[in-house]
Amino acid sequence: MFMVDMLSWWYSRGWGVFVDGFKTRLRDSVDFFSIGQLLRTLFKPYRQISANSNSQGMEAFFDKLISRLVGFFVRVFIIVFGGIALLLESLLGIVMIVAWPFAPVLVVAGIAMSVMGVTL
Amino acid sequence: MMFDYGSLRAREARLGKKLGKIVAIFLVLAVLFAVLGGYLVFVREALCWVCFSLAILFVMIYYWAKRELIPVPVRADEGLNGVLSNDVLAAMPRNPKIADLATVVAKTNSGKFMAVRYGITPNFLSALVADFPEGFNVGQIFETAMKIREGTDSEELHGAILAAAIIANHPASESILKQMRLEMKDVLDGVVWFNYLNGLVRSIGKREHRGGIARDLSFGYIPTLQRFGQNISAEQEGAMKTQIHQSAHKEIVEQMVSIFSNTGRQNVALIGAEGSGRSTIVKAFAELLLNADAKLPSSLQFRQIFKLDAATMISSAPERGQIEGLVMHILGEAFAAKNIIIWLDNAQLFFEDGTGSVDISNVLLPIIEAGQLRVIMTMDQQKFLEISAHKSTLANALNKIQVPPANEEETMKVLQDQTPVLEFQHKVSYTIWALKEAYRLSSKYIHDLEMPGKALSLLDTAGEYASPSRLVTSESVQEAVEKTSGVKVSGGATSDDDKSRLLNMEELIHKRMIDQVDAVKTVSDAMRRAAAGVRNESRPIGTFLFLGPTGVGKTELAKALSEVYFNGEDHIIRVDLNEFVSGADVSRLIADATEDELSLTAQVLKQPFSVVLLDEIEKAHPQVLTTLLQMLDEGVLRDVRGREVSFRDTIVIATSNAGAEKIREYVSNGKSLADVREEFLNYLLSPEYAATAAAAGMSAFRPEFLNRFDEVCLFKPLSPTDCMQVLDLIIAGVNKTLEPQKISVEVSADAKELLVSAGYDPQLGARPMKRIVSKTVENLVAKAVLSGAASSGTTITVTREMIEAEL
Repeated sequence: MFMVDMLSWWYSRGWGVFVDGFKTRLRDSVDFFSIGQLLRTLFKPYRQISANSNSQGMEAFFDKLISRLVGFFVRVFIIVFGGIALLLESLLGIVMIVAWPFAPVLVVAGIAMSVMGVTL
Repeated sequence: MMFDYGSLRAREARLGKKLGKIVAIFLVLAVLFAVLGGYLVFVREALCWVCFSLAILFVMIYYWAKRELIPVPVRADEGLNGVLSNDVLAAMPRNPKIADLATVVAKTNSGKFMAVRYGITPNFLSALVADFPEGFNVGQIFETAMKIREGTDSEELHGAILAAAIIANHPASESILKQMRLEMKDVLDGVVWFNYLNGLVRSIGKREHRGGIARDLSFGYIPTLQRFGQNISAEQEGAMKTQIHQSAHKEIVEQMVSIFSNTGRQNVALIGAEGSGRSTIVKAFAELLLNADAKLPSSLQFRQIFKLDAATMISSAPERGQIEGLVMHILGEAFAAKNIIIWLDNAQLFFEDGTGSVDISNVLLPIIEAGQLRVIMTMDQQKFLEISAHKSTLANALNKIQVPPANEEETMKVLQDQTPVLEFQHKVSYTIWALKEAYRLSSKYIHDLEMPGKALSLLDTAGEYASPSRLVTSESVQEAVEKTSGVKVSGGATSDDDKSRLLNMEELIHKRMIDQVDAVKTVSDAMRRAAAGVRNESRPIGTFLFLGPTGVGKTELAKALSEVYFNGEDHIIRVDLNEFVSGADVSRLIADATEDELSLTAQVLKQPFSVVLLDEIEKAHPQVLTTLLQMLDEGVLRDVRGREVSFRDTIVIATSNAGAEKIREYVSNGKSLADVREEFLNYLLSPEYAATAAAAGMSAFRPEFLNRFDEVCLFKPLSPTDCMQVLDLIIAGVNKTLEPQKISVEVSADAKELLVSAGYDPQLGARPMKRIVSKTVENLVAKAVLSGAASSGTTITVTREMIEAEL
């Protein structure tokens, strides 16, 4: 009964539960790397480092420009790093979702392979 | 509707219970077999596939257990068996009987919750189910439980709901709950309360979306602000979610979003009394701004709220110019950072000069008017009016929002919401009666805060007075009030001893008072009615007017009442109204406690369970009497600060000698006072008496004043025979005083006759008697003790001759 209950869950609600869990984790990661927000503020000054300076005219313009450039590079770095992390997480999740129905089969196949004496 | 023991959820719940503690072992086994499999691959062993198979199998079991068994998810479409909570399912036997349900409830977390907080213990439930007939259809309980689940918006049908359903089905449920000082609504509130706490526990570990890495990259550095301000937004991250239970407060948060989203004056002034929830509103607003999933304009999202503390700033920059410079610097930093909303809590501290406050309105006003920096201010109505009077420009520049206090239902929700925090701090558990008592007593005795703040503050203090079992009960709350404010609140008749004293009140009073049988009976009857709950709760416990000549026992009856009803003669607040003979004296009667601790209102604030004795009421100025009307009528009196002082736990006794001659005349003509009562009262209201009173400089009685009293008691003059009994009481008093020295006094019969003839005065009643006893008997005892004639164990016998010698 134990195995029957588990397998019936595995091939019914279990798959959906796993997909939901994957989506929640992905949403958390998207919030953590906040790529949308980074893109929206890509050219905003970094930590407003020029805002408190008393410079004026061209000096102020260059202060702000440097601040924007620093902000741009920091954000691009996070976008690239976050993008890769999200991509890897997504790929892993998709592989797991695809592999889900094969997991019980793999258990049986493994035992069969051992019985047949298959080695690498 | 029946429980299916063999249903999938029931099976899973039972299995989940068994696997609960060992589930992590499956993960460990999976890792071990995976590692072993890897090793066997390395040594080219075919057994490696079995190891991998087992590793996959254990991962599958682990995942299944975590996602499906612990706990079993709700399947609302499967009826009763789909919504029963995990612990109920795991504990439920096959074909449960009504008695089994009580056992099941006891095993669940929600059942334990109801036992601790509502007294619905396993024993109570077992006793309850024993009253159900043999073969009672359990399906009826499940049907009620399903209705309760729906009515309380519960996701699961847990033990608390089952307990409520059992109670609801009991034929005498109403009377049983009444005995526990509960109603069915309280039990249902308990279900909602449990749901809330359960939800909090389940939300632990769930990630909230707060904007991630990108959130603060565009916002500036704020080192000075961080030093002098308190980051409310940062405190909300990871803290328990701020709940708002008042619909008015929810609207205020929406109003704040609207004001700060639009162009125009970027400020909000929250005007409300302390304790009304101003800070909670600001915290809820801070939390909303940090919620990435909330639908907010981008100009508001992820803005942080910083609270500025006037005292810290003043201590760092004591000179006038310095503080203004510091404020400008901080506000400049906040403006440049572009994500700061400044919160000036107790904002009046920034607009007035004084200890701990500084007037920097000249700096703040241009900033507020310009609307460049977002500012929230909180202050109370009185302070806002004061500021408005002096700085109308500033007041006009503010977007004012009134914060109303919470009602009882909302306050109870706030208290339930905050109990987990208080319980964690004090390591105690709060019962529902503690919460109710905190609301009741705080509304009566805490005057400087508003609801829900004052009830919460009292509940917090009560955490220090928990019982040895770490339970905070209504008694803990009473003790907290008594210990922290000096107010005695646990008075009145509650125990069996108190009830017995009330039933034998006349007898007890007559132990210290002679005659006046009618007056004593009238008062005793009224007190018994009050103690039995047959009284208007919005008036004092009893209001009496004692009329009669001097020295006949009016004050003595008031003292006796204090002793019998409030367990002590010290529970008496005496006000001599002959000191309140002008209209200006009203302010002295209701003076603030800080200015005059002996004013009537100050004394009642301090000791609300008291006999208030208003002596010589006929001598008070009519304005004083008019002031007292409200107290007699509504049980409250406003002090000079406009603060409501409750007299609803007092017994008010007014005494007067008015018409004493008339009473003597009735008695000397052999009339019973009970028979002439109406005639006498008419006399007091007659122009004849008014003229007499005016001639003596006294107030005339008005019908509306006399009618305010529950009872008017007439005291007859004491006869020489009565005085003999008074003398016995006085001598008994002398003996009581001498008891520690083990000396006693006996007065011979002829000596007593002499004392009565010397001490009796028809005009002054028994009053001179005490002086005579003091002058004779007490003097004789003093001499005997000092001369060594009397020592421990001696009985001094006082004879007529000895008295004659002393007189």
